[in-house]
Amino acid sequence: MVIQKEKKSCGQVVEEWKEFVWNPRTHQFMGRTGTSWAFILLFYLVFYGFLTAMFTLTMWVMLQTVSDHTPKYQDRLATPGLMIRPKTENLDVIVNVSDAESWDQHVQKLNKFLEPYNDSIQAQKNDVCRPGRYYEQPDNGVLNYPKRACQFNRTQLGDCSGIGDPTHYGYSTGQPCVFIKMNRVINFYAGANQSMNVTCVGKDVGACLDPSSLTPPKPRPLLLSLTLHFLRSPITGSSALPPRDEDAENLGNFVMFPANGSIDLMYFPYYGKKFHVNYTQPLVAVKFLNVTPNVEVNVECRINAANIATDDERDKFAGRVAFKLRINKT
Amino acid sequence: MGQAGSDSEGGAGLRVKPALPGTEGRQFGGRAAPKKWARQRKTLEIYSVELSGTKDIDQTDKGDGKEKYRGLKNCFEPKKNHQREELKKELDLDDHKLSIKELEEKYGTNFITGLSSTQAAELLAQNGPNALTPPKETPEIIKFLKQMVGGFSILLWIGAILCWIAYGIQYSMNKSSSLDNAYLGCVLALVVILTGIFAYYQEAKSTNIMATFNKMIPQQALVIRDSEKKTIPAEQLVVGDIVEIKGGDRIPADIRLLSVQGCKVDNSSLTGESEPQARSSEFTHDNALETKNIGFYSTTCLEGTATGMVINTGDRTIIGQIASLASGVGNEKTPIAIEIEHFVHIVGGVAISIGILFFIIAVSLKYHVLDSIIFLIGIIVANVPEGLLATVTVTLSLTAKRMAKKNCLVKNLEAVETLGSTSIICSDKTGTLTQNRMTVAHLWFDNQIFIADTSEDHSNQVFDQSSGTWASLSKIITLCNRAEFSPGQENIPIMKRVVVGDASETALLKFSEVILGDVMEIRKRNHKVAEIPFNSTNKFQLSIHKTDDPNDKRFLMVMKGAPERILEKCSTIMVNGQEQPLDETTAAAFHTAYMELGGLGERVLGFCHLYLPADEFPESYSFDVDTMNFPMSNLCFVGLLSMIDPPRSTVPDAVTKCRSAGIKVIMVTGDHPITAKAIAKSVGIISANSETVEDIAKRLHIAVEQVNKRDAKAAVVTGTELKDMSPEQLDELLTNYSEIVFARTSPQQKLIIVEGCQRQNAVVAVTGDGVNDSPALKKADIGIAMGIAGSDAAKNAADMVLLDDNFASIVTGVEEGRLIFDNLKKTIAYTLTKNIAELCPFLIYIIVGLPLPIGTITILFIDLGTDIIPSIALAYEKAESDIMNRKPRHKKKDRLVNQQLAIYSYLHIGLMQAVGAFVVYLTVYAQEGFQPGILANLRVEWENDNVNDLEDSYGQQWTSYQRKYLEWTGYTAFFVGIMVQQIADLLIRKTRRNSIFQQGFFRNKVIWLGIASQIIIALILSYGLGSVTALNFTMLRPQYWFVAVPYAILIWVYDEVRKLFIRLYPGSWWDKNMYY
Repeated sequence: MVIQKEKKSCGQVVEEWKEFVWNPRTHQFMGRTGTSWAFILLFYLVFYGFLTAMFTLTMWVMLQTVSDHTPKYQDRLATPGLMIRPKTENLDVIVNVSDAESWDQHVQKLNKFLEPYNDSIQAQKNDVCRPGRYYEQPDNGVLNYPKRACQFNRTQLGDCSGIGDPTHYGYSTGQPCVFIKMNRVINFYAGANQSMNVTCVGKDVGACLDPSSLTPPKPRPLLLSLTLHFLRSPITGSSALPPRDEDAENLGNFVMFPANGSIDLMYFPYYGKKFHVNYTQPLVAVKFLNVTPNVEVNVECRINAANIATDDERDKFAGRVAFKLRINKT
Repeated sequence: MGQAGSDSEGGAGLRVKPALPGTEGRQFGGRAAPKKWARQRKTLEIYSVELSGTKDIDQTDKGDGKEKYRGLKNCFEPKKNHQREELKKELDLDDHKLSIKELEEKYGTNFITGLSSTQAAELLAQNGPNALTPPKETPEIIKFLKQMVGGFSILLWIGAILCWIAYGIQYSMNKSSSLDNAYLGCVLALVVILTGIFAYYQEAKSTNIMATFNKMIPQQALVIRDSEKKTIPAEQLVVGDIVEIKGGDRIPADIRLLSVQGCKVDNSSLTGESEPQARSSEFTHDNALETKNIGFYSTTCLEGTATGMVINTGDRTIIGQIASLASGVGNEKTPIAIEIEHFVHIVGGVAISIGILFFIIAVSLKYHVLDSIIFLIGIIVANVPEGLLATVTVTLSLTAKRMAKKNCLVKNLEAVETLGSTSIICSDKTGTLTQNRMTVAHLWFDNQIFIADTSEDHSNQVFDQSSGTWASLSKIITLCNRAEFSPGQENIPIMKRVVVGDASETALLKFSEVILGDVMEIRKRNHKVAEIPFNSTNKFQLSIHKTDDPNDKRFLMVMKGAPERILEKCSTIMVNGQEQPLDETTAAAFHTAYMELGGLGERVLGFCHLYLPADEFPESYSFDVDTMNFPMSNLCFVGLLSMIDPPRSTVPDAVTKCRSAGIKVIMVTGDHPITAKAIAKSVGIISANSETVEDIAKRLHIAVEQVNKRDAKAAVVTGTELKDMSPEQLDELLTNYSEIVFARTSPQQKLIIVEGCQRQNAVVAVTGDGVNDSPALKKADIGIAMGIAGSDAAKNAADMVLLDDNFASIVTGVEEGRLIFDNLKKTIAYTLTKNIAELCPFLIYIIVGLPLPIGTITILFIDLGTDIIPSIALAYEKAESDIMNRKPRHKKKDRLVNQQLAIYSYLHIGLMQAVGAFVVYLTVYAQEGFQPGILANLRVEWENDNVNDLEDSYGQQWTSYQRKYLEWTGYTAFFVGIMVQQIADLLIRKTRRNSIFQQGFFRNKVIWLGIASQIIIALILSYGLGSVTALNFTMLRPQYWFVAVPYAILIWVYDEVRKLFIRLYPGSWWDKNMYY
């Protein structure tokens, strides 16, 4: 009545394994004879070869449906995002005035970033366009290729151009320049034929500056996310309703280049990497003049354009950008 | 004690074979039977004679009983010592040897006044109630927890814990880190808990069926306490109580009988022997189990009354001890449980090894350990078919329901399949193979044997009824019979009517009612003036009637009984209606017929009559049965009639089906070998052309020892022979003979037979009904209890209950079991396939660095959403070929999930699905701006939330949320890709060998329901919840739903080709490697 399990000794197990690996009686290697192995290998060779061919074929067919110069769909890019330079790990610009090394990397990056904007290069490659108007280059049935781009000269950035600037974009003096750019979107007529500009404010947005909420909502069960939302809403409300001036005060004054932070219509529309080879993205430079030192200041810059919404709750970078600024002085 | 009584009793769970004798109780007040006969009637013996009846009865009374109990002891010998000791102690019981005085002293009671209430209350508190402790049940919470950690649950728990660990690490590094991993952990835990609850619920539901089945009618006992007769619940009986029992009662405890009036008991629930046994207050045997002055708990008092003293209650009774021993027999794992375990091991092994392999790869690719843990979670979740075990449970319970409709009630869900893999069935005879009712099978008159119709409804009696002899014979049959129909059954078919009377008389009554019409009316017309009922010394029954012919003033004396006794009294014999002198040739003819019918295992009765001359016996003549003032010789012999408990008409067919299904049917019966063999032959357990050693010896006229045993295919083994066999001899017997009948076996020997069969590596099904069968039922791979005749203990020990006690139901069970095994294969193959399509994204994500193609939550939506109904739908698939024409599967070779199934699902179809789903995913990305070339190694930038100007193939720049949304669209695309190909997968899994067109494209409607559910769930997820991005689904452009269709078609065509080659080249390399 007791179930008796056949206990195998260790030696037997080894023996069985040996026989499995190579069975001299049946000439089987790992349970198969040579021919069987050959068949199997041949089969998988053919099978996977066929599968690869099938994959290649379908991919080729699929790629026929996409054009080289414009993507088939752009529904996700209705609102271009904003981004800052210098690009840092956590969207924070931290400057230790006395410690050159802390900002030197920013300066290096900016130098490299602004190099294509040098007036000489711009003059050489790009056109001088009429401001206040879209620079349209329609195909009119024939591919108009490559397309011309408008000049954005580095000198337009004024104090932030970094040309012959001993202060290194103001980093050495604690008056740093931060460059704001708008994401390229093909065939996007930013501003809808009206002028647009970038504005920045110092803003303590409480929960918004919580890095987790800066990130877009991630996969989470509906119920949980709702609960979370419910739990969180009072915090958001309390911090959002009476806007605290602390950050605005700490931010102090700033100047923008080009003046008013305006972006000209002539840089639009963008025709894509392939066609618009020398396209130069317009920039807005913000020079912070008297940031309260040793305090982390939250800055938010947004674009004011007729056709760019900046209040997307999920996408915190749609038409705006938030970053932290800290000037450490001893 | 009547039939009606026994039915209700049966409902209460006690095994009661329809009362063979002993209808006397009911007849007491009934007909005009002279009162002075009453006492005599009470001691009536079973009314009819077998060929070697006397010998058999002797055996039963003397030898057999002892053997039985010895068998009982033997089979429990390997048990734990203290249990054996307990049984021994019980056997040493000496209460039966004590006199009433001694007993009164011992138990402090009084035979007249009984116990006092206070005494009784004390004893009750001391010994506990008089009820069997129900078999130890696993506490519900343990069952529940088992579901929580069984199968894949462990893997998912690991996944959940890893999630929480990952979150813990994140949290310790950054207090405000995202809660995603914590949520995922919760979701995984929730999945485990929900599927656990579901499986538990399913199990509980099927157990509940049994619970309602087992509901017992509370039993009452008539007890003398404080000098008063009281009716109390039997549970409250205590040792020393004086109880009174009467015919029809169930004996409420083990009692020592003190005074007895014609009491007979049916000990079948204890011994399996349905012959009623007389009880008396005298000590007749040293062995407590055999002495006549002890009545056993849960046996039935058939007739008479008795007063007794309770000597044992509850678990200390004999039955209680057997029941507790049965629960000690280990319940073996069901074959399907073993298969599922095997399958879980395979999948779990694959999951863990791939997980660990890629963990190492990820770490060596300089991934962060945290990321590597998250990869590991993804791999585990992708690899584990979360919904499968729930699906299997549902599938099994669907089959269980289907079987319940066909009268197989399955107690243990897994037993559904066990029947399908059964290779040996040890079947009872009475009730299972036979109709459990005596029926007239043959008649002999006019020197000729006639065959009577023994089918269930008797409708077709074709023998010659024109002879004058038949007229006389039918008159004797009708008149010399004390059985009567219970009143008020005019509308019920004759064969179903309840009869008051013993088995043989019932058979004769129904037989004559069918042929002649209203028997009661005939009896009324032929008024009975005197009667001698059957008794074992006379071995005949006689009655004297006025005839219904008004011109004939003679009395008719009719008589029936043991043929040889009847013949002795005769001097003439009726042939063709004419009386002829009984000479030697006719006597010889009689003997030949008698031997022949006896040889068929039938009970033979002889009939004779005599018209008493009117001058000697005028109308006013007063017959005295005590002085026998009428002639008892020179009667006229009319004919013979033989009866048998005929096989159920469905059984021969069922046995043939079992044969062709490669199942060996072994008959195990307590009946006489000749009867057993006859029934075995008539149902095909011993096929027409096979012979036993004895048959060969007889045919060749040589001694049994000289016969070459190899020549015989069949064997009839008696319990006595079995007892002397060593296990090796039994093994030899079981392997060498394909057709075996065990006769005169005690129920305990069943256990020995079952163990012998299991040593042959067979999956053994056992049928049984008695308490003593319960160890065998437990020991068997699948124990089948009889729903009507079965005792509670048997039903408790069994895995399945046959509601109609019909062997043919077992065959349908086998068919269902085999079908479910095949269909589970299909279900598992279907479910496993998409695991590769879910796994590949993670592997490629780790190695190539694409944006993640499918999220963990999305995988759960496939496994627990779209795939659930389709995989259940496969359970409704019809068999591909005649599953009853192949051998039972080999326990160790024909696995549920074999190498071929795993390889074909994983490396063939699964890979195609993965490729197809990737095509959909890449299409979505390419058309949104990220062409395949740019995707490689994009992962780090892509997932960095602070990179909000990531460039695509066209120079456009994306914020992290825009990318995230695209990633979710990718998940949805991949999900839809898998879903579309799973439809193809579902269709190809309909068959394993046949073309889908052979199987019938639309035959299984549920499949189409499954496909519809798949599509609808996907549509809801994408469009209904598309705006709630919390679930990671987005609205997918309609055209993307069709991108994977070419691959779906490819899958279908590929599988058709595979099946075609399998059919074309059976046994080829292709067949061996591609058939699962």
